[in-house]
Amino acid sequence: MDIREFQAYAALFMTIFLVGILYWYIVYLYRSEKKGEKDYEKLSNLALDDEIDSKTINSSSVASSEKKEQKK
Amino acid sequence: MQSNAALEYDYSVAKLFTYATILFGFLAMLIGTLIAAQLAFPELNYLIGEYGTFSRLRPVHTNTAIFGFTVGGVFATFYYVGQRVLKVSMAESKFLMFIGKLHFWIWFFGALFATITLLMGYSQSKEYAQYEWPADVAIVILWVLWGISIFGLIGIRREKVLYISMWYYIATFLGIAMLYIFNNMAVPTYFASGGLGSIMHSVSMYSGANDAMVQWWYGHNAVAFGFTVPIVGMIYYFLPKESGQAIYSYKLSLLSFWGLMFLYLWAGAHHLLYSPVPDWVQTMASVFSIVLILPSWGSAINMLLTMKGEWNQLTENPLIKFMVLASTFYMLSTLEGPIQAIKSVNAIAHFTDWIPGHVHDGVLGWVTFMIMASLFHMAPRMFKREIYSRKLIEVQFWLQTTAVVLYFTSMWIAGITQGMMWRAVDEYGNLMYSFIDTVTVLHPYYAIRTLSGVLYFVGFVIFAYNMIKTMSSSRELTEEPQFKSPMA
Amino acid sequence: MFHWLEKNPFFFAVGVFLVIAFAGIITILPNFAESSRPVVGLKPYTVLELAGKEVYKKDACIACHSQMIRPFKAETDRYGQYSLSGEYAYDRPFLWGSKRTGPDLHRIGNYRTTDWHENHMWEPIDVVPGSIMPAYKHQFTNLADIETAYAEAVTVKNVFATPYGDEFQATKAAWEAHKPKVLADAKAIAADMKNQDVKDAVAAGNIPEVVAIIAYMNRLK
Repeated sequence: MDIREFQAYAALFMTIFLVGILYWYIVYLYRSEKKGEKDYEKLSNLALDDEIDSKTINSSSVASSEKKEQKK
Repeated sequence: MQSNAALEYDYSVAKLFTYATILFGFLAMLIGTLIAAQLAFPELNYLIGEYGTFSRLRPVHTNTAIFGFTVGGVFATFYYVGQRVLKVSMAESKFLMFIGKLHFWIWFFGALFATITLLMGYSQSKEYAQYEWPADVAIVILWVLWGISIFGLIGIRREKVLYISMWYYIATFLGIAMLYIFNNMAVPTYFASGGLGSIMHSVSMYSGANDAMVQWWYGHNAVAFGFTVPIVGMIYYFLPKESGQAIYSYKLSLLSFWGLMFLYLWAGAHHLLYSPVPDWVQTMASVFSIVLILPSWGSAINMLLTMKGEWNQLTENPLIKFMVLASTFYMLSTLEGPIQAIKSVNAIAHFTDWIPGHVHDGVLGWVTFMIMASLFHMAPRMFKREIYSRKLIEVQFWLQTTAVVLYFTSMWIAGITQGMMWRAVDEYGNLMYSFIDTVTVLHPYYAIRTLSGVLYFVGFVIFAYNMIKTMSSSRELTEEPQFKSPMA
Repeated sequence: MFHWLEKNPFFFAVGVFLVIAFAGIITILPNFAESSRPVVGLKPYTVLELAGKEVYKKDACIACHSQMIRPFKAETDRYGQYSLSGEYAYDRPFLWGSKRTGPDLHRIGNYRTTDWHENHMWEPIDVVPGSIMPAYKHQFTNLADIETAYAEAVTVKNVFATPYGDEFQATKAAWEAHKPKVLADAKAIAADMKNQDVKDAVAAGNIPEVVAIIAYMNRLK
């Protein structure tokens, strides 16, 4: 297999691989939100509520931030 | 966590970068306007001897705009946004404060030094990588310092999740580091020849078509990671903050990020269509350029939808106007670019004025608008004074918007005219025009562009004046505004 | 996996780097395996031509001129044979350019003479009415840096195996020995020129920039 052929296969497989990951990521984002594990949209508040002493969010998962709520 | 009642964000580094960004913006646009005028009125080439010719000044214009103004604006906003979204103050770490200031001074003097070397004619003649090796070394050092700042701040952060803007800053850091180093690989001839000749001179590690591939892999993506990625990061912070509206879809912003990262790097070779680099590289670049519309528009539409239901702010707040127009110009130029990357369109557009036209609707309409709006937003928070004049912002907005429209319309017409004239043949198949015919025909368009340059430059001077007044003599604020920037 | 990446900025950065580096690795690296081969008969630049190339870079001619002829009839009619990859094998850096405010120069040596360039560099509108190119009168007085050009030739010979002769050595003595050849080349150019100051300078052993850049232009064929 010469370098050109190798290059072509490498390009093809890596592209498919990365596209696969991207789609997996999309599914992951929406599914985890649907299941109620995660809430990505709350991360938008990082820009809106950015005083040095304002409450930290710390994680996109719903569970962990709720736990913290309870601790406080 | 203990309460830090006295702890405040420390903007001393952000302020330094703000001053210098305004200074470099002034220089870059002044020189830009001058060289635009030189194309319309060649007598202007002789104002300062050999240092005033178009060819000597053009790299000074581009490099000051990139490494002075834009990169300065990115640093200024980073030292502002970085603290706020990580909820950590620079004042908490003496080390990071020192690195931040060192970063500023090395960048500032490095940029001045590099500008002077370009004026003197020390140039590698690779576009946007003209700086000779000593200036390159300075750039690598300051980039490492920036990296220490980014990851240092991340290291001591209170907020554990990274806001999307931080992702973009990190990507800018990594992207430019990789591109800049690989494209500037060169051997200084002084050391390789046992001390003969000038110490400033170097010779590229790559030759011919290889050099072309590396250069445009760099050239295109330096635009990507200098003019797109960090500016998208900026708008993801400043537009929501200024308008008080949460990003329309945070998930879309994450997906656009990865899409942009993956696709952008493939597109470089669209600068080399019909050149002697391998055909498949050209075709691939063409295809990826078109797919690139998706993540670009993903971000831009996300920003426009963020304003959903709040469009009244467009009339109430001139900064929102700047940012919304910026995302609109971003959409325009990320559509225009892929169109130019289609092979048959490129056959006409390449080598013509349509290309600078495309660059400038992105750079003037998107990058500069965003940087100015961001600095306006930061000013009341950094200097604890309200913005000096709302009226001046309005005047500036309309002057500069008119200027951008004049710029790209005149260059569209100029580019297509020239591209068509180069290939026009008469009924016997002979070329219809000599080259000089295709130059003289462009005079009116060059004159219009000069006018547009003057308008934009005047707008920038108004911006600088407004900022200086805000820093020095505007009404003081008792508390930090939450969303909308207060202005008189 | 994604959740973990969100929380680890370092590995996130590694991920970003892999994704952005991928395109470069695939499209660029393999081409270095077959480094650009020179076309048959291609000679490396002489020292005077290299000095001229430096003038071309110094005055950033690339801002307005390309050196790359595309394979279209309109271009081959206007400028000559379309450009081949192997013709650029010794070009470090490549100078294809990206803008034609002025015409392409890749084969200008085929249809312009020393005499034409001399007049044109002195005052372009006298030669091409309507030209917007600035005059480069300073090239008639500034001296070309031929020692640096020699240093470049030695560097590319030693580092990149560009086929320069054995007399190219990284020593002061070798340079002094080569210098008369450069001067002889310059004299041949100056003989076709009219400007007395340039002729006098070359006779006195100094080479103005314009002589070097004309040598370079004449070489572009």
